[in-house]
Amino acid sequence: MLSADRLSVRFGSKTALADVSLDVPAQKIVSVIGRSACGKTTLLRAFNRTNEMIAGARTTGTARFHGTDLYGRTVDPVEVRRRIGMIFQRATPFPKSVFDNIAFGPRAGGFAGDLHELAEEVLTSAGLWADVAGDLDAPALALSAGQQQQLCIARTLAVRPDVLLMDEPTASLDPAATARIESLVHSLKATYTVVIATHDLSQAARLSDMTAFLDAGELVEYSPTATLFTNPRTRQAEEYVTGRTS
Amino acid sequence: MTPPVAERSAYPVSPTIQAAAKPMLPGRRRDFLAGASRLAAATMLAAAAGLAGVLARAVWQANGGSADGTPYAGGAGWETIGPAVAGTLWLALATAALALPIGLGTALYLEEYARPKRRAVRAFQAAVAHLAGVPSVVYGVAGLVVLVHGLSAGRSIFAGGLALAALALPTVVATSAEAIRAVPDDLRTAAYGLGATRWQVVRHQVLPAAAAPIAAGACAAITRTAGEAAPLLVLGATSFATFAPAGPGDPLVSLPTQVFAWAVRPQAEFAAQAAGAAIALLAILLGLNVAGLFLRRRLRKVLP
Ligand SMILES: Nc1ncnc2c1ncn2[C@@H]1O[C@H](COP(=O)(O)OP(=O)(O)OP(=O)(O)O)[C@@H](O)[C@H]1O
Ligand SMILES: [Mg+2]
Repeated sequence: MLSADRLSVRFGSKTALADVSLDVPAQKIVSVIGRSACGKTTLLRAFNRTNEMIAGARTTGTARFHGTDLYGRTVDPVEVRRRIGMIFQRATPFPKSVFDNIAFGPRAGGFAGDLHELAEEVLTSAGLWADVAGDLDAPALALSAGQQQQLCIARTLAVRPDVLLMDEPTASLDPAATARIESLVHSLKATYTVVIATHDLSQAARLSDMTAFLDAGELVEYSPTATLFTNPRTRQAEEYVTGRTS
Repeated sequence: MTPPVAERSAYPVSPTIQAAAKPMLPGRRRDFLAGASRLAAATMLAAAAGLAGVLARAVWQANGGSADGTPYAGGAGWETIGPAVAGTLWLALATAALALPIGLGTALYLEEYARPKRRAVRAFQAAVAHLAGVPSVVYGVAGLVVLVHGLSAGRSIFAGGLALAALALPTVVATSAEAIRAVPDDLRTAAYGLGATRWQVVRHQVLPAAAAPIAAGACAAITRTAGEAAPLLVLGATSFATFAPAGPGDPLVSLPTQVFAWAVRPQAEFAAQAAGAAIALLAILLGLNVAGLFLRRRLRKVLP
């Protein structure tokens, strides 16, 4: 459903993603693992067309969504981002109220329903409702780092994308909140397709159906999660998942 | 004598830690900057006190007092400074009405819409930065050539307003652009990532986040130019207006030029009038600054 075909991204003269080809099946969870700076974020951002805001970024190859080239001449990047939502690695709440953070995306997309109902729904999904229900007008920046991450997840859900790209969504969360987000991701599988970048190998093993292992911008191995963790085809993947470094 | 750590602590302390615990030494660290900054602040305070003293004397003189106790004939009444006050208010209004929208619009274009790598854009940015440093009198000369001689705008409030707006413009562009640039890119990425259009990102994220410094910069630029005499003198401001300007076509009068015209005359009564006009000018500039402060507060509530 979502696929990359020889997708490359360069920042200036530096290649961050080199000839990556992979297929993300509908209603599956795909995790992307690999060392820091291997290109996980860049891959996710390529699907959501947010690399192009970085000066000097150049994307080549194709990325398809239901067969449509996301980088096609007639494709509106705004539409791409509404359909393929992304939760960024660094949680960046808008310096506004909790409610306005949730409402921004739906309003931008012309949402006509009840924003309060929507806010309650997505905040509950993200496990934040109990914490903020009393005061949706509180400033988002007054939340803790973990709560801010949860707010950013809720705010992306509020746009109701078809695909959810999550860039290390639980990196700043406590075990309980992490468990909540993981069960959320699990429940999302029924309706969404999820791509999740993570450094937490056990999380990748727990959550995902398929796992992609990136190294230095290249896709080294893309296998069913069980295979990649127990019986990887490549030596690099084996070394990475077993924690051995050569 | 401070008791040893072990006695004060509610927790048992191991003998080694107890042995290692030394009493806290009282004392200060040397900090050169602490002294230097205190000196700088004191100098600033002295300068402010000096200015306040001079003004106080001027107020006293303008109210008819003199050094030898005899009141001057004719202080600075409304009949004499009224036209100039009205002129300066008109000029400030024209500057704000022209420089703010054009300046903010230009800054938004440069920072959010133009492609930063284009050579023309970068040349434009550099030109704006340099224009902000051009002496104000040069704007007067340009205004004289273009407006008075070229467009036959006459020595009018209109011509003066255009010249002052042109003078304020590069500063408004530069301060607005800086305020816009200070909005973190993560905020833009987050907003675009949620499917917002460029207009929505600019209107609902960038502008509210940058509103306060934009307003502060514009306010400073406008009050600064409202106090300028040089460009208006070059344009040919009149120094003996008998009626307050009622529109842009009326003759150019202003407080700064009036202060100058009166201050250079030898007679004592003109010195008093100059002082009165200077005080009126300061009052107006203070008023503009306070208005800017309220505007900034209001913006913060209205914009998001
Ligand atoms: N904005 C940018 N400008 C220039 N180079 C960049 C930029 N963003 C990423 N890169 C480069 O692209 C490469 C891949 O970075 P990326 O952020 O995709 O890594 P990552 O796998 O997400 O790392 P991490 O696990 O630390 O988040 C890195 O070498 C990085 O230096
Ligand atoms: Mg990353």
